[in-house]
Amino acid sequence: MPKSLLIISRQAPWSGPNAREALDIVLAGGAFDLPIGLLFMDDGVFQLAAKQDAKALQQKDLSANLQALPMFGVEDLFVCGDSAAERGLDLDGRSLEEARVLTAQEITALIDRYDQVITL
Amino acid sequence: MKFAIALFSAAHAPSSRRALLFAQAALAGGHEIVRLFFYQDGVYNASGSVVTPQDEQDLPKQWRAFVSEHQLDGVVCIAAALRRGVLNEEEAGRYQRDAVAVGVPWELSGLGQLHDAVQDADRLICFGGA
Amino acid sequence: MSTLHVLSHSPFGDDRLTSCLRVIGTNDALLLTGDAVYALQPGTAPFNALNARPLNLFVLAEDAQARALAIPDAARAIDYPAFVELSIHYDKVNSWL
Repeated sequence: MPKSLLIISRQAPWSGPNAREALDIVLAGGAFDLPIGLLFMDDGVFQLAAKQDAKALQQKDLSANLQALPMFGVEDLFVCGDSAAERGLDLDGRSLEEARVLTAQEITALIDRYDQVITL
Repeated sequence: MKFAIALFSAAHAPSSRRALLFAQAALAGGHEIVRLFFYQDGVYNASGSVVTPQDEQDLPKQWRAFVSEHQLDGVVCIAAALRRGVLNEEEAGRYQRDAVAVGVPWELSGLGQLHDAVQDADRLICFGGA
Repeated sequence: MSTLHVLSHSPFGDDRLTSCLRVIGTNDALLLTGDAVYALQPGTAPFNALNARPLNLFVLAEDAQARALAIPDAARAIDYPAFVELSIHYDKVNSWL
């Protein structure tokens, strides 16, 4: 059995390459068919905001890459409900609707379930 | 116990020093390090271009000595390194750049090497940030 | 399974400690390193948050010493060999980078 890896992405999408580099770890794991989970937490939940416009900052569109995750075999997608609520982010219209909204207790159980964790 | 150690911060960050001391303590404790993987700003730790003032700790030099002495597998993420201008001879040639910053004992390779190390190791330990 | 959570950022003006305490499990532990040891500054909100609940709390001794912070009775000061052993004792290490 391959070891499972949970990536916790805590960075806003427009704060430099960190959010993208966290996503790259996830995509690389998916490409190797490894059991990978991705949890958006703290400012990382802003990656799921609807109607973001990457062109306004001449950036690549991270949302588009996130949409592709299920196609890359990454289906274990989660978002911290508390982080979103604190930031006034309405998850009903989130751009990655596959991401399951989790409570703090559920996140504790999630971290427990994975073999290794990287929080970026 | 088999460790994979991943470093995400630049050489001048305190977390890079902690990573080195952890790695040294792991080997001293009779454990194995299956791979060191430098990602994000961690790639700067493999740079031979860093010049540290004489009265300060020269972390890139210490990493180089540590990896060479123990013949460890030191992998620098190639995409992160390209983005930050930390190139080895091969990549400098490929992209027609003058500055070569990385040489022996480091190897530039892909993120697959991180996943490979996670699969091989009993523990993944990450250092970075502050 | 159990997790060793590792913090290295100052808890003042940063939400890592808050988020970590929100999701840390009863079998887990917290290791303060670097500027995260400023959470030991008595009488502060981070210090009170650490003391508000039972917690397996460890502190990297050199970081507390460098910052002239006292290790409270509820915490254990560790060196690097102990850090290595701690990372083995717990099933995984979650560093909040």
